[in-house]
Amino acid sequence: MFSRIRAWFRRSDRLPEEMQQHLEMLREERLARGATEDAADRFARAKLGNRRAIEETVYEMRPLYFFDAGARHLWLAVRTILRNKGSYLAAAGILALGVGMSVAIFSLVDAVLLRPLPFPRQESILVIWKVDPLAGQHVEELAYPELRDIQQNIHGLEYAAVMPTSLYGYAKVLQRGKEAPVQIESTPVSHDFFRVLGVAPALGRNFTDTDERVGAAPVVMLSDRAWREQLGADRKIVGQQIRMNGQGYTVIGVMPAGTEFPLGAGLWVPLGIDERVVTRRGATFLQAIIRLKPGIPRSRISGEVAALFRRLAAEHPDVYTRSQMGVVTPLADYLTGSARVHLWIMLAASVLLLAAANISSGNLLLSRTLARRHEIATRLALGAGRGQIIALLGAEGALVALIALVAGVGVAMSAIRVLVRLAPEDIPRLTNAALDPDSFWFAASSAALAAFACTVIPAWAAARMPLESALREGGVRLSLSGRANRTRNVFIVVQAAVTLMLLATAALFVLSYRSMMSAGTGFANRKAVTMNLQLHGPGLFSAQAFTLESRRQFYGTLLSRVRATPGMTAAAAVLLRPLEGTVGWDVPYEFEFQTGGRDGRVLPKVNFEVVTPDYFRTLGIALLEGRDFNEHDSATSEPVVVISRSLAERVRRAGRSALGSRIRLGSGARWNKVVGVASDARYRSIAQVGEDIYASYLQAPQPTNYVVVSGIQPAAQLSALVRARMAELDPNQAIAGVATMGELIDRNAARHRFNLILLLWFGVCAAILASSGIYSVIAETMTARQREIAVRIALGAGKGRLVRDMLSGTMFLVVSGECVGAFAIALLMGADSTLLYGVSARDPRVLGLVAGFLFVVSFGAAFWPAWNAAGRDPQASLRAN
Amino acid sequence: MQDEPKQVEILQGTLNMMILQALQQGSANGYEIAKFIEHRSNDLLQVEHGSLYPALRRLEANGFVKAEWRVSQTNRSARYYTLAPAGKRQAVIEHSRWRVLVRAITRVMKPA
Repeated sequence: MFSRIRAWFRRSDRLPEEMQQHLEMLREERLARGATEDAADRFARAKLGNRRAIEETVYEMRPLYFFDAGARHLWLAVRTILRNKGSYLAAAGILALGVGMSVAIFSLVDAVLLRPLPFPRQESILVIWKVDPLAGQHVEELAYPELRDIQQNIHGLEYAAVMPTSLYGYAKVLQRGKEAPVQIESTPVSHDFFRVLGVAPALGRNFTDTDERVGAAPVVMLSDRAWREQLGADRKIVGQQIRMNGQGYTVIGVMPAGTEFPLGAGLWVPLGIDERVVTRRGATFLQAIIRLKPGIPRSRISGEVAALFRRLAAEHPDVYTRSQMGVVTPLADYLTGSARVHLWIMLAASVLLLAAANISSGNLLLSRTLARRHEIATRLALGAGRGQIIALLGAEGALVALIALVAGVGVAMSAIRVLVRLAPEDIPRLTNAALDPDSFWFAASSAALAAFACTVIPAWAAARMPLESALREGGVRLSLSGRANRTRNVFIVVQAAVTLMLLATAALFVLSYRSMMSAGTGFANRKAVTMNLQLHGPGLFSAQAFTLESRRQFYGTLLSRVRATPGMTAAAAVLLRPLEGTVGWDVPYEFEFQTGGRDGRVLPKVNFEVVTPDYFRTLGIALLEGRDFNEHDSATSEPVVVISRSLAERVRRAGRSALGSRIRLGSGARWNKVVGVASDARYRSIAQVGEDIYASYLQAPQPTNYVVVSGIQPAAQLSALVRARMAELDPNQAIAGVATMGELIDRNAARHRFNLILLLWFGVCAAILASSGIYSVIAETMTARQREIAVRIALGAGKGRLVRDMLSGTMFLVVSGECVGAFAIALLMGADSTLLYGVSARDPRVLGLVAGFLFVVSFGAAFWPAWNAAGRDPQASLRAN
Repeated sequence: MQDEPKQVEILQGTLNMMILQALQQGSANGYEIAKFIEHRSNDLLQVEHGSLYPALRRLEANGFVKAEWRVSQTNRSARYYTLAPAGKRQAVIEHSRWRVLVRAITRVMKPA
């Protein structure tokens, strides 16, 4: 096809015909002067010159020359590749694997962490809160009046709103006639909240300022999920009344799917409807969220916010401390938060994988080009231009890159599909993961660059080599000398290093996970059933509808009735159940012996739980010393606490006994006596060991919002029993989030496991790439040195010795690379001790094992082609050359 | 004085000028142009006939000459080149540039 196009190009010009006529005229001229046919012919040809060369010259002047030449080179490249299918397809395959896998991972990370929410111009949405460095970097919240401060003093805002810093405590119970009431997570927000996010309701209208007035009629905005699951996706719902917490709310709209912000929110209600919230600067439980006008830099906002908070601290010294500082964070960072480290590890791993693929296939192409020096020399000797040689090899590289890209898309798509299926269900928005075009183009262009560079640069070098020597040596020793060979050696070292880093990271995380799981979470009773059962009443803070006394009474009565139910063996209540996200109550603490009673220190913080008697037994938390709480630890008796083993360890290290020592939760708070020591338990994450303080529900003001029970029946029946007892006491309350302790632990572990699967996958891919890279390099070297090997065999060299000679150099490079990689891992991962649990990145056994594995794999990959080459019939090899 | 050489190579860049000059006489094909240059120079200038064609194509691309296939006097079909108006102007320009160059070089080479 290409030749026909080329012919068309030429025919349109008719230059050959013109020159043919010219030739005839010259011939006739000679014949007319009496020359012989032969002499006339010779004269005419000599006079006209090299017609072919002239044609080429004219042809290259044509404007479309580039296209045509490109097509010609591409065609030649296709033929070359078809002739040497093995190496080129291997190079393309390696590239495809690298591009596909790294793009797949990046797309997942992008879907889950980088672009978590479907808000337009997300980068201009910022979250504002405060920290007080004097109190140990802990978060200070804003109060409603500060919304107006922000609106009036920060310039460049499109909209500003405030929302609570946590989802906790605003849930509503939806009454559904005869059906059992359900609990829906709810967030009170100021009326411009959705305008800040940039999303309009799918049905109905947005909040307006008239909805958000003290005493305004209650209205509610539904999430798509709540609308579908709880209200039957009724399109006529807008304008109707629903009953929540015993109060009527008018539905004003339904948000589109995916607008779950904060994560888990099922509905939104206006915030500024409570006099106490709107006016009091002391009522701090909020954070601000703002949308910037286009083109306003974040740095300017940070400056203005800092200035504003400084001024407010000066104007209201009674409310604010002088040391508080504003924090301005982009929404995406705010949401990724703790996941950031893993994000970076994953991104680094996918970049490493891409690099490994590029190196591996580059190496292969480099070897091919080197092996073709003889062919290149022949082409040059036959009059090919240097540019043509470079263009030819460049076309081959481009073709390999093209194949790799097409295959890479396929690999990426299927990898995404498989990974999404493998992933735990609770990773938000993972199912939305799709091939990320940006990352694909990044990976693809880097792969193309690698393929191109590894063909064009050696071609350029080859095109400049002295012709005679290249031809004379027949490409035998040439391919093993010079700078290109050094480049290839560097490639092997780098690849070994990169692969070792990936494998070691995967191995370290696997070991860390294993020791995490085997150490136990502290909750021995995996069958215990936990559920959210918080009391809801009318108003913004639904719990405030109940007095401390009535609440304690409710839980006390409920639990004694549950315990009396046949099938139940234990029941208790707790402030916040274990592993409920990463949220929790932090309280500052100090022991009496540390202070001597003085106030004013900045105190460390620990996890705080309020529990009823029997809590430890229900969840299987061992009580190591002292006693559990009982009903006599009441508001009127001496305040007591139970502390965790790690915390008790601190007391012991100070040379005192934990039992009987006195502790207070904050400077100036009342002293509590330690009556018990419980074993350590992991409340925030199964990967995180912390210290805990437990208080009795009769002595602490916080509500016990979660009920935990254990019994001889399945979880569903146990929770039904609790629901029945609860309905006897108050039919308007609901139970939500029923899960056994085992489920909570598994759900938490799922994330770690998923990370592990990804890392292992990376490691395996990297090992495949490394071994195929080494295999191909050795195979190419063997082909290039065929003659030398044949001579040595003919001279009686032993096969084993020959193979050893061939491999020792390469294996030395692999080992050097491994050393570099091990050093890098020890340096990078060892720097952050929180990344790993129960295993050190500097553990020589782990690194040794991984290095040994990689060595064996590399050795296998190198041994096979070398052994084959050494086994070849020397006579056949010599004759073939 | 030494013997003058019998033949010389064409100076770089003068081929275009000579082609334009040849076409001042009327249209001609490649063979006739080559012959014109050789005759006018008393066979001193030796043209590799083929080398005319890249030059002709370039002149054609610049719009200095036009070309069409016609039948020659010897009954052959050949491509005939004719000077375009722009080519006539170009011929004058190149000629005067050449004269200046020759004068200058002659002065340089004059024995002191």
